[in-house]
Amino acid sequence: MSPSCLQETDAMLHDETIRERALEWAVRTGDPEFTDWDAFTDWLDEDPAHGAAYDVVAAAVADATDVFVTAPVPANDDVLVPAPQVRRRWLPGALAASLVLAVGFGLWQGGDNRYAVQTAPGEVRTVTLADGGSVVLSGGTRIELDRKDARYARLENGQALFSIRHDARNPFAVEVGEDRLVDAGTVFDVELDDGRMRVAVSEGLVLFNPGKEDVKVAPGHMLARQGDSYALSNVSPEQVGEWRSGRVTFDNAPLDIVAARLSRMTGVAFAAEDRGGAFSGSILIAPLRKDPQSLAALLGTTIRRDGERWIIVAE
Amino acid sequence: MHRSLFDALPLIATGAKLSTEPSLAGLEAVFLENREKLLRFLRSRGAGDAAEDLVQEIWLRISAAAPGPISSPLSYLFRTADMLMIDRYRSVRQAEKRDRDWSELHAAGDGEASDQPSAERHLVARQDAAQVMAALESLGPRVAGVFRRHRVDGVPQRQIAEEFGISLSTLESDMRTAYRALREWKERRDEA
Repeated sequence: MSPSCLQETDAMLHDETIRERALEWAVRTGDPEFTDWDAFTDWLDEDPAHGAAYDVVAAAVADATDVFVTAPVPANDDVLVPAPQVRRRWLPGALAASLVLAVGFGLWQGGDNRYAVQTAPGEVRTVTLADGGSVVLSGGTRIELDRKDARYARLENGQALFSIRHDARNPFAVEVGEDRLVDAGTVFDVELDDGRMRVAVSEGLVLFNPGKEDVKVAPGHMLARQGDSYALSNVSPEQVGEWRSGRVTFDNAPLDIVAARLSRMTGVAFAAEDRGGAFSGSILIAPLRKDPQSLAALLGTTIRRDGERWIIVAE
Repeated sequence: MHRSLFDALPLIATGAKLSTEPSLAGLEAVFLENREKLLRFLRSRGAGDAAEDLVQEIWLRISAAAPGPISSPLSYLFRTADMLMIDRYRSVRQAEKRDRDWSELHAAGDGEASDQPSAERHLVARQDAAQVMAALESLGPRVAGVFRRHRVDGVPQRQIAEEFGISLSTLESDMRTAYRALREWKERRDEA
Protein backbone atom coordinates (compact mmCIF):
# COMPACT_ATOMS: atom_id res chain seq x y z
CA MET A 1 0.00 0.00 0.00
CA SER A 2 1.40 3.42 -0.93
CA PRO A 3 1.87 6.01 1.82
CA SER A 4 -0.80 8.30 0.38
CA CYS A 5 -3.26 5.45 0.33
CA LEU A 6 -2.49 4.69 3.97
CA GLN A 7 -3.07 8.29 4.88
CA GLU A 8 -6.42 8.19 3.16
CA THR A 9 -7.40 5.07 5.10
CA ASP A 10 -6.32 6.74 8.32
CA ALA A 11 -8.44 9.77 7.51
CA MET A 12 -11.44 7.59 6.80
CA LEU A 13 -10.99 5.72 10.06
CA HIS A 14 -10.66 9.04 11.82
CA ASP A 15 -13.94 10.25 10.26
CA GLU A 16 -15.66 7.04 11.23
CA THR A 17 -14.45 7.44 14.83
CA ILE A 18 -15.85 10.96 14.94
CA ARG A 19 -19.14 9.78 13.48
CA GLU A 20 -19.38 7.05 16.11
CA ARG A 21 -18.50 9.40 18.96
CA ALA A 22 -21.07 11.90 17.66
CA LEU A 23 -23.67 9.15 17.68
CA GLU A 24 -22.82 8.24 21.27
CA TRP A 25 -23.23 11.86 22.30
CA ALA A 26 -26.54 12.16 20.44
CA VAL A 27 -27.88 9.16 22.36
CA ARG A 28 -26.75 10.69 25.63
CA THR A 29 -27.91 14.29 25.07
CA GLY A 30 -31.27 13.03 23.79
CA ASP A 31 -32.11 11.66 27.23
CA PRO A 32 -34.27 14.11 29.21
CA GLU A 33 -32.16 13.22 32.26
CA PHE A 34 -28.83 14.09 30.61
CA THR A 35 -26.99 16.82 32.55
CA ASP A 36 -23.33 16.69 31.53
CA TRP A 37 -23.50 19.58 29.06
CA ASP A 38 -20.05 20.82 30.11
CA ALA A 39 -18.36 17.60 28.96
CA PHE A 40 -20.35 17.74 25.74
CA THR A 41 -19.24 21.33 25.14
CA ASP A 42 -15.60 20.33 25.75
CA TRP A 43 -15.88 17.55 23.17
CA LEU A 44 -17.39 19.98 20.65
CA ASP A 45 -14.52 22.41 21.23
CA GLU A 46 -11.89 19.79 20.35
CA ASP A 47 -12.67 19.92 16.62
CA PRO A 48 -15.32 21.69 14.49
CA ALA A 49 -15.86 18.34 12.74
CA HIS A 50 -17.34 17.02 16.02
CA GLY A 51 -20.27 19.45 15.94
CA ALA A 52 -20.83 18.80 12.23
CA ALA A 53 -20.99 15.02 12.75
CA TYR A 54 -23.32 15.52 15.72
CA ASP A 55 -25.67 17.67 13.61
CA VAL A 56 -25.85 14.95 10.95
CA VAL A 57 -26.94 12.21 13.33
CA ALA A 58 -29.13 14.42 15.55
CA ALA A 59 -30.98 15.82 12.52
CA ALA A 60 -31.45 12.35 10.99
CA VAL A 61 -32.97 11.04 14.22
CA ALA A 62 -35.15 14.16 14.60
CA ASP A 63 -36.41 13.73 11.02
CA ALA A 64 -37.17 10.07 11.62
CA THR A 65 -38.96 10.90 14.88
CA ASP A 66 -41.10 13.52 13.11
CA VAL A 67 -42.01 10.99 10.47
CA PHE A 68 -43.08 8.63 13.24
CA VAL A 69 -45.17 11.20 15.06
CA THR A 70 -46.82 12.87 12.08
CA ALA A 71 -47.27 9.77 9.93
CA PRO A 72 -50.69 10.12 8.33
CA VAL A 73 -53.23 7.76 9.83
CA PRO A 74 -54.12 5.28 7.10
CA ALA A 75 -57.67 5.22 5.74
CA ASN A 76 -59.66 5.49 8.97
CA ASP A 77 -60.93 9.03 9.51
CA ASP A 78 -62.07 8.42 13.06
CA VAL A 79 -60.27 10.55 15.63
CA LEU A 80 -59.78 7.49 17.82
CA VAL A 81 -56.55 5.85 16.76
CA PRO A 82 -56.50 2.30 18.05
CA ALA A 83 -53.71 1.43 20.45
CA PRO A 84 -54.11 -2.33 20.89
CA GLN A 85 -51.49 -2.97 23.57
CA VAL A 86 -53.13 -0.45 25.87
CA ARG A 87 -56.70 -1.16 24.85
CA ARG A 88 -56.49 -4.66 26.23
CA ARG A 89 -56.14 -3.25 29.70
CA TRP A 90 -59.23 -1.11 29.47
CA LEU A 91 -62.38 -2.14 31.15
CA PRO A 92 -65.86 -2.40 29.69
CA GLY A 93 -68.68 0.05 30.36
CA ALA A 94 -70.11 -1.65 33.44
CA LEU A 95 -67.03 -0.82 35.49
CA ALA A 96 -66.96 2.72 34.13
CA ALA A 97 -70.53 3.09 35.38
CA SER A 98 -69.53 2.04 38.90
CA LEU A 99 -66.97 4.86 38.77
CA VAL A 100 -69.83 7.35 38.31
CA LEU A 101 -71.19 6.37 41.71
CA ALA A 102 -67.85 7.02 43.35
CA VAL A 103 -67.60 10.45 41.76
CA GLY A 104 -71.17 11.28 42.77
CA PHE A 105 -70.39 10.42 46.36
CA GLY A 106 -67.33 12.66 46.31
CA LEU A 107 -69.35 15.61 45.05
CA TRP A 108 -71.95 15.18 47.74
CA GLN A 109 -69.34 15.12 50.51
CA GLY A 110 -67.38 18.13 49.38
CA GLY A 111 -70.35 20.09 48.05
CA ASP A 112 -70.23 23.16 50.29
CA ASN A 113 -66.75 24.28 49.38
CA ARG A 114 -67.10 23.85 45.64
CA TYR A 115 -67.53 26.78 43.32
CA ALA A 116 -67.47 27.22 39.56
CA VAL A 117 -65.32 29.34 37.27
CA GLN A 118 -66.73 29.88 33.82
CA THR A 119 -65.77 31.58 30.55
CA ALA A 120 -67.96 32.82 27.73
CA PRO A 121 -67.20 31.50 24.23
CA GLY A 122 -64.22 33.40 22.84
CA GLU A 123 -62.93 34.35 26.30
CA VAL A 124 -59.71 33.06 27.91
CA ARG A 125 -59.15 33.24 31.65
CA THR A 126 -56.31 32.17 33.93
CA VAL A 127 -57.03 30.91 37.42
CA THR A 128 -54.10 30.80 39.81
CA LEU A 129 -54.44 28.04 42.36
CA ALA A 130 -53.55 28.58 45.99
CA ASP A 131 -50.61 26.18 45.78
CA GLY A 132 -49.02 28.06 42.86
CA GLY A 133 -50.36 25.95 39.99
CA SER A 134 -52.57 27.45 37.34
CA VAL A 135 -55.44 26.58 35.06
CA VAL A 136 -56.02 28.40 31.78
CA LEU A 137 -59.64 28.15 30.63
CA SER A 138 -60.46 28.30 26.94
CA GLY A 139 -63.74 29.86 25.83
CA GLY A 140 -67.09 28.24 26.68
CA THR A 141 -65.52 26.35 29.57
CA ARG A 142 -66.73 25.62 33.08
CA ILE A 143 -64.63 24.14 35.85
CA GLU A 144 -65.39 23.48 39.46
CA LEU A 145 -62.82 24.10 42.18
CA ASP A 146 -62.75 23.55 45.91
CA ARG A 147 -62.01 26.31 48.42
CA LYS A 148 -60.67 23.80 50.93
CA ASP A 149 -58.77 21.60 48.52
CA ALA A 150 -56.35 23.21 46.08
CA ARG A 151 -55.59 19.77 44.60
CA TYR A 152 -59.07 19.25 43.17
CA ALA A 153 -60.68 20.38 39.93
CA ARG A 154 -63.57 19.18 37.85
CA LEU A 155 -63.93 20.02 34.16
CA GLU A 156 -67.64 20.21 33.42
CA ASN A 157 -67.39 21.39 29.85
CA GLY A 158 -64.88 22.89 27.43
CA GLN A 159 -61.09 22.89 27.52
CA ALA A 160 -58.47 23.81 30.10
CA LEU A 161 -54.69 23.66 30.35
CA PHE A 162 -53.46 22.58 33.77
CA SER A 163 -49.95 23.53 34.95
CA ILE A 164 -49.62 21.71 38.21
CA ARG A 165 -47.03 21.54 40.95
CA HIS A 166 -46.34 17.92 41.48
CA ASP A 167 -46.55 16.52 44.98
CA ALA A 168 -46.43 12.75 45.18
CA ARG A 169 -47.96 12.76 48.67
CA ASN A 170 -50.86 14.96 47.62
CA PRO A 171 -51.50 14.43 43.92
CA PHE A 172 -53.61 16.79 41.88
CA ALA A 173 -56.80 15.19 40.57
CA VAL A 174 -59.04 16.40 37.78
CA GLU A 175 -62.44 14.84 37.29
CA VAL A 176 -63.65 14.91 33.72
CA GLY A 177 -67.06 13.42 33.08
CA GLU A 178 -66.81 9.89 34.45
CA ASP A 179 -63.04 9.88 34.37
CA ARG A 180 -60.39 10.84 36.80
CA LEU A 181 -56.96 12.19 35.86
CA VAL A 182 -54.21 12.26 38.44
CA ASP A 183 -51.03 14.13 37.69
CA ALA A 184 -47.65 12.60 38.29
CA GLY A 185 -46.13 15.97 37.28
CA THR A 186 -47.02 19.00 35.46
CA VAL A 187 -48.56 20.24 32.20
CA PHE A 188 -51.61 18.77 30.50
CA ASP A 189 -54.60 19.91 28.47
CA VAL A 190 -58.07 18.49 29.03
CA GLU A 191 -61.12 18.81 26.85
CA LEU A 192 -64.70 17.67 27.33
CA ASP A 193 -67.25 18.18 24.58
CA ASP A 194 -70.57 16.44 24.38
CA GLY A 195 -69.26 13.45 26.37
CA ARG A 196 -66.02 13.20 24.41
CA MET A 197 -62.98 13.49 26.65
CA ARG A 198 -59.45 14.15 25.51
CA VAL A 199 -56.32 14.67 27.59
CA ALA A 200 -52.99 15.65 26.01
CA VAL A 201 -49.76 15.81 28.01
CA SER A 202 -46.83 18.13 27.31
CA GLU A 203 -44.74 17.54 30.42
CA GLY A 204 -44.68 15.02 33.23
CA LEU A 205 -47.18 12.21 33.37
CA VAL A 206 -50.93 11.89 33.81
CA LEU A 207 -52.59 8.78 35.23
CA PHE A 208 -55.97 8.05 33.71
CA ASN A 209 -58.43 6.51 36.19
CA PRO A 210 -55.83 5.14 38.65
CA GLY A 211 -56.97 1.92 40.29
CA LYS A 212 -59.28 1.21 37.34
CA GLU A 213 -58.03 1.45 33.75
CA ASP A 214 -54.85 2.98 35.16
CA VAL A 215 -53.32 4.18 31.90
CA LYS A 216 -50.21 6.33 32.00
CA VAL A 217 -50.33 9.18 29.51
CA ALA A 218 -46.78 10.37 28.80
CA PRO A 219 -45.62 13.64 27.19
CA GLY A 220 -46.43 13.72 23.49
CA HIS A 221 -49.39 11.44 24.04
CA MET A 222 -53.09 12.04 23.99
CA LEU A 223 -55.81 9.84 25.38
CA ALA A 224 -59.27 10.17 23.89
CA ARG A 225 -62.47 8.62 25.12
CA GLN A 226 -65.73 8.42 23.28
CA GLY A 227 -68.51 6.34 24.78
CA ASP A 228 -66.92 3.12 25.94
CA SER A 229 -63.89 3.18 23.66
CA TYR A 230 -60.60 4.70 24.60
CA ALA A 231 -57.49 5.25 22.54
CA LEU A 232 -54.02 6.63 22.82
CA SER A 233 -52.45 8.60 20.01
CA ASN A 234 -49.50 10.91 19.51
CA VAL A 235 -49.61 14.66 19.78
CA SER A 236 -46.77 17.06 19.26
CA PRO A 237 -45.95 18.52 22.70
CA GLU A 238 -45.88 22.06 21.24
CA GLN A 239 -49.50 21.61 20.22
CA VAL A 240 -50.60 20.94 23.77
CA GLY A 241 -52.27 24.12 24.98
CA GLU A 242 -51.31 26.00 21.83
CA TRP A 243 -54.89 27.39 21.76
CA ARG A 244 -53.65 29.95 24.28
CA SER A 245 -51.68 31.58 21.50
CA GLY A 246 -54.78 31.81 19.31
CA ARG A 247 -54.03 28.84 17.10
CA VAL A 248 -55.50 25.37 17.01
CA THR A 249 -54.21 22.29 15.18
CA PHE A 250 -56.31 19.34 14.11
CA ASP A 251 -55.12 15.92 13.07
CA ASN A 252 -57.73 13.99 11.13
CA ALA A 253 -60.47 15.48 13.27
CA PRO A 254 -64.13 14.94 12.32
CA LEU A 255 -65.83 18.20 11.32
CA ASP A 256 -68.19 18.23 14.31
CA ILE A 257 -65.19 18.28 16.65
CA VAL A 258 -63.61 21.04 14.58
CA ALA A 259 -66.86 23.02 14.79
CA ALA A 260 -67.22 22.57 18.56
CA ARG A 261 -63.67 23.63 19.29
CA LEU A 262 -63.74 26.63 16.99
CA SER A 263 -67.06 27.80 18.46
CA ARG A 264 -65.57 27.75 21.92
CA MET A 265 -62.49 29.64 20.92
CA THR A 266 -64.03 32.25 18.62
CA GLY A 267 -67.40 32.86 20.25
CA VAL A 268 -68.85 32.39 16.76
CA ALA A 269 -71.34 29.50 16.56
CA PHE A 270 -70.11 26.89 14.09
CA ALA A 271 -71.80 23.54 13.52
CA ALA A 272 -71.14 20.61 11.21
CA GLU A 273 -73.97 19.29 9.08
CA ASP A 274 -72.92 15.70 9.75
CA ARG A 275 -69.95 13.76 11.07
CA GLY A 276 -68.56 13.17 7.59
CA GLY A 277 -65.18 14.48 6.52
CA ALA A 278 -62.03 14.99 8.50
CA PHE A 279 -59.62 17.86 8.73
CA SER A 280 -55.89 18.09 9.39
CA GLY A 281 -54.22 21.45 9.69
CA SER A 282 -53.62 24.52 11.76
CA ILE A 283 -56.08 27.42 12.06
CA LEU A 284 -55.60 30.93 13.44
CA ILE A 285 -58.53 32.05 15.56
CA ALA A 286 -58.54 35.86 15.29
CA PRO A 287 -59.32 36.08 11.53
CA LEU A 288 -62.29 33.74 11.99
CA ARG A 289 -63.94 36.14 14.41
CA LYS A 290 -63.94 38.86 11.79
CA ASP A 291 -64.82 36.62 8.88
CA PRO A 292 -66.44 33.29 9.85
CA GLN A 293 -67.04 32.48 6.21
CA SER A 294 -63.28 32.28 5.55
CA LEU A 295 -63.33 28.92 7.38
CA ALA A 296 -64.74 27.29 4.23
CA ALA A 297 -61.54 27.86 2.27
CA LEU A 298 -59.39 26.65 5.18
CA LEU A 299 -61.31 23.40 5.59
CA GLY A 300 -61.95 22.87 1.90
CA THR A 301 -65.70 22.68 2.54
CA THR A 302 -68.61 24.99 1.90
CA ILE A 303 -70.23 26.95 4.68
CA ARG A 304 -73.71 28.41 4.92
CA ARG A 305 -75.34 30.77 7.33
CA ASP A 306 -78.31 29.69 9.38
CA GLY A 307 -79.39 32.66 11.51
CA GLU A 308 -76.64 33.10 14.12
CA ARG A 309 -74.97 29.82 13.21
CA TRP A 310 -72.50 28.89 10.50
CA ILE A 311 -73.05 25.40 9.15
CA ILE A 312 -70.03 23.54 7.75
CA VAL A 313 -71.03 21.29 4.86
CA ALA A 314 -68.54 18.61 3.75
CA GLU A 315 -68.28 18.37 -0.02
CA MET B 1 -62.19 13.48 50.84
CA HIS B 2 -60.31 16.56 52.07
CA ARG B 3 -56.76 15.80 51.19
CA SER B 4 -55.51 19.26 51.99
CA LEU B 5 -56.32 21.04 55.22
CA PHE B 6 -54.73 24.42 54.66
CA ASP B 7 -56.83 27.28 53.42
CA ALA B 8 -56.86 27.03 49.65
CA LEU B 9 -58.88 29.92 48.32
CA PRO B 10 -57.85 30.28 44.69
CA LEU B 11 -57.27 33.75 43.29
CA ILE B 12 -59.12 34.44 40.11
CA ALA B 13 -57.16 36.42 37.55
CA THR B 14 -58.72 37.49 34.28
CA GLY B 15 -56.96 37.67 30.94
CA ALA B 16 -54.63 35.22 29.25
CA LYS B 17 -51.37 36.43 30.78
CA LEU B 18 -49.03 33.69 31.82
CA SER B 19 -45.83 35.65 32.23
CA THR B 20 -46.31 35.89 35.98
CA GLU B 21 -46.08 32.14 36.49
CA PRO B 22 -43.48 31.50 39.17
CA SER B 23 -41.85 28.63 37.23
CA LEU B 24 -41.12 30.92 34.27
CA ALA B 25 -39.72 33.65 36.51
CA GLY B 26 -37.41 31.11 38.17
CA LEU B 27 -36.27 29.87 34.80
CA GLU B 28 -35.56 33.40 33.63
CA ALA B 29 -33.23 33.94 36.59
CA VAL B 30 -31.31 30.77 35.70
CA PHE B 31 -31.21 31.89 32.07
CA LEU B 32 -29.77 35.30 32.95
CA GLU B 33 -27.19 33.80 35.30
CA ASN B 34 -26.01 31.31 32.68
CA ARG B 35 -26.22 33.46 29.57
CA GLU B 36 -22.43 33.32 29.01
CA LYS B 37 -22.36 29.55 29.37
CA LEU B 38 -25.14 29.19 26.84
CA LEU B 39 -23.33 31.56 24.46
CA ARG B 40 -20.20 29.44 24.71
CA PHE B 41 -22.23 26.32 24.05
CA LEU B 42 -23.92 27.86 21.00
CA ARG B 43 -20.53 28.89 19.60
CA SER B 44 -19.14 25.39 20.22
CA ARG B 45 -22.18 24.05 18.37
CA GLY B 46 -21.17 26.18 15.39
CA ALA B 47 -23.47 29.19 15.81
CA GLY B 48 -20.65 31.68 15.06
CA ASP B 49 -21.81 35.31 14.87
CA ALA B 50 -25.44 34.26 15.25
CA ALA B 51 -24.83 33.12 18.86
CA GLU B 52 -26.07 36.40 20.41
CA ASP B 53 -29.31 36.31 18.42
CA LEU B 54 -29.80 32.63 19.11
CA VAL B 55 -29.42 33.01 22.85
CA GLN B 56 -32.35 35.44 22.69
CA GLU B 57 -34.28 32.91 20.65
CA ILE B 58 -33.77 30.31 23.36
CA TRP B 59 -35.56 32.59 25.74
CA LEU B 60 -38.37 33.29 23.25
CA ARG B 61 -38.90 29.57 22.77
CA ILE B 62 -39.02 28.92 26.48
CA SER B 63 -41.44 31.74 27.25
CA ALA B 64 -43.68 30.64 24.35
CA ALA B 65 -43.68 27.06 25.63
CA ALA B 66 -44.49 28.34 29.16
CA PRO B 67 -43.26 25.13 30.77
CA GLY B 68 -44.38 23.97 34.17
CA PRO B 69 -41.96 23.45 37.04
CA ILE B 70 -38.68 21.95 35.82
CA SER B 71 -36.43 19.80 37.94
CA SER B 72 -33.14 20.88 36.43
CA PRO B 73 -33.50 24.28 34.77
CA LEU B 74 -29.94 24.62 33.46
CA SER B 75 -30.15 21.31 31.60
CA TYR B 76 -33.48 22.41 30.20
CA LEU B 77 -31.84 25.58 28.85
CA PHE B 78 -28.97 23.62 27.29
CA ARG B 79 -31.42 21.15 25.77
CA THR B 80 -33.45 24.00 24.29
CA ALA B 81 -30.24 25.50 22.86
CA ASP B 82 -29.20 22.14 21.43
CA MET B 83 -32.61 21.57 19.82
CA LEU B 84 -32.53 25.08 18.41
CA MET B 85 -29.21 24.30 16.70
CA ILE B 86 -30.52 20.96 15.41
CA ASP B 87 -33.63 22.66 13.99
CA ARG B 88 -31.46 25.33 12.44
CA TYR B 89 -29.30 22.71 10.76
CA ARG B 90 -32.38 20.86 9.55
CA SER B 91 -33.98 23.93 8.01
CA VAL B 92 -30.74 24.87 6.23
CA ARG B 93 -30.49 21.33 4.86
CA GLN B 94 -34.14 21.40 3.82
CA ALA B 95 -33.69 24.69 1.97
CA GLU B 96 -30.60 23.30 0.22
CA LYS B 97 -32.49 20.20 -0.80
CA ARG B 98 -35.41 22.29 -2.07
CA ASP B 99 -33.05 24.37 -4.22
CA ARG B 100 -31.41 21.24 -5.54
CA ASP B 101 -34.72 19.55 -6.32
CA TRP B 102 -35.88 22.68 -8.03
CA SER B 103 -32.88 23.01 -10.30
CA GLU B 104 -33.02 19.30 -11.07
CA LEU B 105 -36.65 19.52 -12.01
CA HIS B 106 -36.40 22.73 -14.06
CA ALA B 107 -40.01 22.97 -13.16
CA ALA B 108 -42.27 25.85 -14.10
CA GLY B 109 -43.90 27.84 -11.32
CA ASP B 110 -42.16 28.74 -8.09
CA GLY B 111 -41.09 25.20 -7.27
CA GLU B 112 -41.50 25.51 -3.50
CA ALA B 113 -41.70 22.10 -1.86
CA SER B 114 -44.52 23.36 0.32
CA ASP B 115 -46.58 24.10 -2.79
CA GLN B 116 -46.70 20.48 -3.77
CA PRO B 117 -50.27 19.23 -3.79
CA SER B 118 -51.04 18.00 -0.32
CA ALA B 119 -51.91 14.52 -1.59
CA GLU B 120 -48.39 14.21 -2.94
CA ARG B 121 -46.85 15.45 0.31
CA HIS B 122 -48.98 12.95 2.19
CA LEU B 123 -47.69 10.21 -0.05
CA VAL B 124 -44.06 11.21 0.57
CA ALA B 125 -44.72 11.31 4.31
CA ARG B 126 -46.31 7.87 4.15
CA GLN B 127 -43.34 6.45 2.22
CA ASP B 128 -40.94 7.99 4.75
CA ALA B 129 -42.94 6.50 7.59
CA ALA B 130 -42.86 3.07 5.95
CA GLN B 131 -39.09 3.30 5.42
CA VAL B 132 -38.37 4.45 8.97
CA MET B 133 -40.53 1.71 10.45
CA ALA B 134 -38.94 -0.92 8.22
CA ALA B 135 -35.45 0.31 9.15
CA LEU B 136 -36.25 0.10 12.86
CA GLU B 137 -38.16 -3.17 12.71
CA SER B 138 -35.29 -4.86 10.89
CA LEU B 139 -33.26 -4.28 14.07
CA GLY B 140 -35.62 -6.42 16.11
CA PRO B 141 -38.62 -5.65 18.28
CA ARG B 142 -36.62 -4.52 21.33
CA VAL B 143 -34.56 -1.90 19.50
CA ALA B 144 -37.67 -0.58 17.71
CA GLY B 145 -39.57 -0.61 21.01
CA VAL B 146 -37.00 1.25 23.08
CA PHE B 147 -36.49 3.81 20.32
CA ARG B 148 -40.21 4.52 20.14
CA ARG B 149 -40.54 4.72 23.91
CA HIS B 150 -37.64 7.14 24.16
CA ARG B 151 -38.01 9.37 21.12
CA VAL B 152 -41.76 9.35 20.57
CA ASP B 153 -43.03 8.96 24.13
CA GLY B 154 -40.21 11.01 25.64
CA VAL B 155 -39.58 8.55 28.46
CA PRO B 156 -36.14 8.83 30.16
CA GLN B 157 -33.63 6.07 29.34
CA ARG B 158 -33.33 4.88 32.92
CA GLN B 159 -37.08 4.25 33.09
CA ILE B 160 -37.15 2.43 29.74
CA ALA B 161 -34.32 0.16 30.86
CA GLU B 162 -36.45 -0.79 33.89
CA GLU B 163 -39.54 -1.34 31.75
CA PHE B 164 -37.69 -3.64 29.38
CA GLY B 165 -35.71 -5.31 32.15
CA ILE B 166 -32.34 -4.50 30.58
CA SER B 167 -29.29 -2.64 31.86
CA LEU B 168 -28.78 1.02 31.04
CA SER B 169 -25.72 0.17 28.94
CA THR B 170 -27.70 -2.38 26.90
CA LEU B 171 -30.36 0.25 26.38
CA GLU B 172 -27.76 2.79 25.24
CA SER B 173 -26.33 0.22 22.87
CA ASP B 174 -29.83 -0.42 21.44
CA MET B 175 -30.33 3.30 20.98
CA ARG B 176 -26.99 3.59 19.17
CA THR B 177 -28.04 0.76 16.85
CA ALA B 178 -31.27 2.59 16.08
CA TYR B 179 -29.50 5.93 15.56
CA ARG B 180 -26.98 4.31 13.20
CA ALA B 181 -29.78 2.82 11.10
CA LEU B 182 -31.65 6.13 10.96
CA ARG B 183 -28.53 8.06 9.98
CA GLU B 184 -28.11 5.57 7.13
CA TRP B 185 -31.77 5.98 6.16
CA LYS B 186 -31.37 9.74 6.10
CA GLU B 187 -28.15 9.66 4.09
CA ARG B 188 -29.71 7.32 1.50
CA ARG B 189 -32.82 9.49 1.36
CA ASP B 190 -30.85 12.68 0.77
CA GLU B 191 -28.79 11.08 -1.98
CA ALA B 192 -31.92 9.97 -3.81
